[in-house]
Amino acid sequence: MDFTYTEEQRMMKDAAHGFLGKVCPNVEWYLEMDKDEKGYTDELWQGMAELGWMGIAFPEEYGGIGGDFLDLIVLLEEMGYKAVPGPFLSSVILGGYTILEAGSEDQKQEFLAKISTGELVMTMALTEPGTTRFDPFLIETEAKENGDGYIINGTKLFVSDANVSDYMIVAARTVGNKLSRDGITLFIVDSKSAGIEMSLLKTVAGDKQCEVVFNDVKIPKANVLGKINEGAAVIEKTLQKAAVGKSAEMLGGCHRVMEISVAYAKERVQFGKPIGMFQAIQHHCANMKMATEQSIFITYKAAWMIANDMEEAPKFAAVAKTWVSDAYKKVALIGHQIFGGTGYIIEHEMPIYSRRAKAGEYAFGNPNYQRDLIATRIGL
Amino acid sequence: MAWDFGLSKEEEAYRQQVAEFLDRELTEEIARQSWEDLGLGKEGRAFARKLWESGLLGWSWPEEYGGRGMPPIYDFILLDELGKRWSAHVPNDVGYTMTGHTILRRGSEEMKKEFLPRIIRGEIEFGLGYTEPEAGSDLARLKMYAEEDGDYYVINGQKTFNTECHYSEYHWLCCLTDKTVSPYKGMTLFIVDMNAPGITIRPMTTMSGEQTNEIFYDDVRVHKSRIVGEKNKGFYHMMEALGSERNYVFVPSRYRPYLEMLIDYAKNTMYEDKPLAENPMVRDKIAQIAVEVETAQLLADHARWMEWNQMTMTCEPEITKVVVSELEQKMVDSAMQILDLYCQLEEGSKYAPCGGRIEWEFLHSFMTTIGAGTSEVGRNVIAQRGLGLPRG
Repeated sequence: MDFTYTEEQRMMKDAAHGFLGKVCPNVEWYLEMDKDEKGYTDELWQGMAELGWMGIAFPEEYGGIGGDFLDLIVLLEEMGYKAVPGPFLSSVILGGYTILEAGSEDQKQEFLAKISTGELVMTMALTEPGTTRFDPFLIETEAKENGDGYIINGTKLFVSDANVSDYMIVAARTVGNKLSRDGITLFIVDSKSAGIEMSLLKTVAGDKQCEVVFNDVKIPKANVLGKINEGAAVIEKTLQKAAVGKSAEMLGGCHRVMEISVAYAKERVQFGKPIGMFQAIQHHCANMKMATEQSIFITYKAAWMIANDMEEAPKFAAVAKTWVSDAYKKVALIGHQIFGGTGYIIEHEMPIYSRRAKAGEYAFGNPNYQRDLIATRIGL
Repeated sequence: MAWDFGLSKEEEAYRQQVAEFLDRELTEEIARQSWEDLGLGKEGRAFARKLWESGLLGWSWPEEYGGRGMPPIYDFILLDELGKRWSAHVPNDVGYTMTGHTILRRGSEEMKKEFLPRIIRGEIEFGLGYTEPEAGSDLARLKMYAEEDGDYYVINGQKTFNTECHYSEYHWLCCLTDKTVSPYKGMTLFIVDMNAPGITIRPMTTMSGEQTNEIFYDDVRVHKSRIVGEKNKGFYHMMEALGSERNYVFVPSRYRPYLEMLIDYAKNTMYEDKPLAENPMVRDKIAQIAVEVETAQLLADHARWMEWNQMTMTCEPEITKVVVSELEQKMVDSAMQILDLYCQLEEGSKYAPCGGRIEWEFLHSFMTTIGAGTSEVGRNVIAQRGLGLPRG
């Protein structure tokens, strides 16, 4: 057993801390990014690309750096700490890892190298308006064979970063009814294709989630990703990584909220003493600490299992997403309670985190969804 | 250095050895003594002897006292495997996981030779003698006093909630030896023979049926050589042992059999012609228990790892303690909601589900957030020692 970062991870974490502190300078900047259509700056994206982050986990033969999933998690934790906006997780996990998992040799060569340099941004389009909750396998978007390609029709919702993407991996039905796991096929779709309409959804966290409508969008056969009709298993694996990746971001957020709240509790004086001297506040802080500690270990354990392709990885991914979603929500709420009215002001740092905690909770399956996965995994 | 949540080959080999032994030898009767905190009875002592004779006890103890000189993880593996089988600790729990370590750290060579080999072989047990009627969460209110008399001390006073004393050989006693200074600087630890003249034990029965005791000292004479560590340093000896003790005592694996039992119940209990396992509420509640058992286990693994790597623990074992004790209460509440009306039935009752185990655990769970330090004191420790918040 070992609960430490590798030397390289430690250095990377420190470097990330320094870099992100500079490019995400202050609350005003975040509020600007919320309003901005793109949602991040070139300085941020180019900087991350120069540091090699997008390729950290991909094999060198495909233009990556040859690290593993744990290395990526270290970065995502730091990004969560700074509440970094932008399509990093979408591009690397939803796009890159899915291609690494299911792509042909040509597809890997073509896409992974460009994802790794940051010159290409990808995402994945799953959820549809036909369901009122997260259900990645309820697919009504249709892909019909047509000559040497397919024609896609349908609507996708909550597609992260579609607005800035170059390509989307689209899950579409090739056979079967809308609830059937069989018959889902993945396509690599050029986001600029004729027949695609996109609009930004207005969301609580100001992140860039989109509605994407496909009207007779033509896709060449070469852009089928993985086996026809067998996309569900690929989606499942990607979602496990995404859930753990999101857990790492949320973990970073927990750290930041705890850090600023505890610091504030030490300096804010009421009734003649720092409020951190009151047990009511101390117990709030202890609750933050306990929730965060568990978040660290469950996130890294799930990531370690994924990195080593272990049998229990799917269960632990769901355990991590359940725990950390609940923990971040709780930590953010406590943070607000400690800051009082100050933290309720839009120019304060707290709302950045509490709004992201909500987005994180619902990304890639909320705790209710994850607990149902766990129930199945433990034999229920 | 790198994140690693697994056991080494050697550790895994030991785990398998222990698992095979326990599957063969750990009867319900023996486990029950542990899960119901009945203490070290005849069966427990026989079981401890077997454990020792099979070569599975004492791996983490120094060779000169009968151990194998291995790191603490081997004892933690033993505790985890016991926990998975309804038995959260070794039969001589207090000696093996608590007082023995303090003797090793602070005792004289003579004391180590006298006690450690017998502790390591599972032969002797200690009763903790800290709490007094006026000194619960606040040990500084201790009154019991040991007065020096030549080579002896003469001890008078009263202890309460001293749980193991009706079956243990020794009392691990904390009392004042200097009343003129702050109580923290006037406490001393003694090892007292439980059957020394002048000691009276009066049983107290808890709501879960477990026995604890009031202990009265009436001019009890104890030789100076039975002081553990230094005179007047008792409080500090206790505090330095606290983190480690929590690492050994709060073993999250003991909730795994409950989880397994509930999964089994949900799969095999029908409602409206469907197994409960298909009911979304039941699935959700049992899955949440699984989540919390896994995260609690990681807290324990981490704090233990810090201990055997000699890292400074500020609040990590305290976190495990608070989390594990509250997990038990939440788990019981969820389980009772799943069992519904039947959750009320005691063991032996005709319709009792899960052998009445949940009903018993409900009664027991009130203690967990109080015993060995309340959750409130625990949160103070986490806030002050872990996060550096000022003392009120």
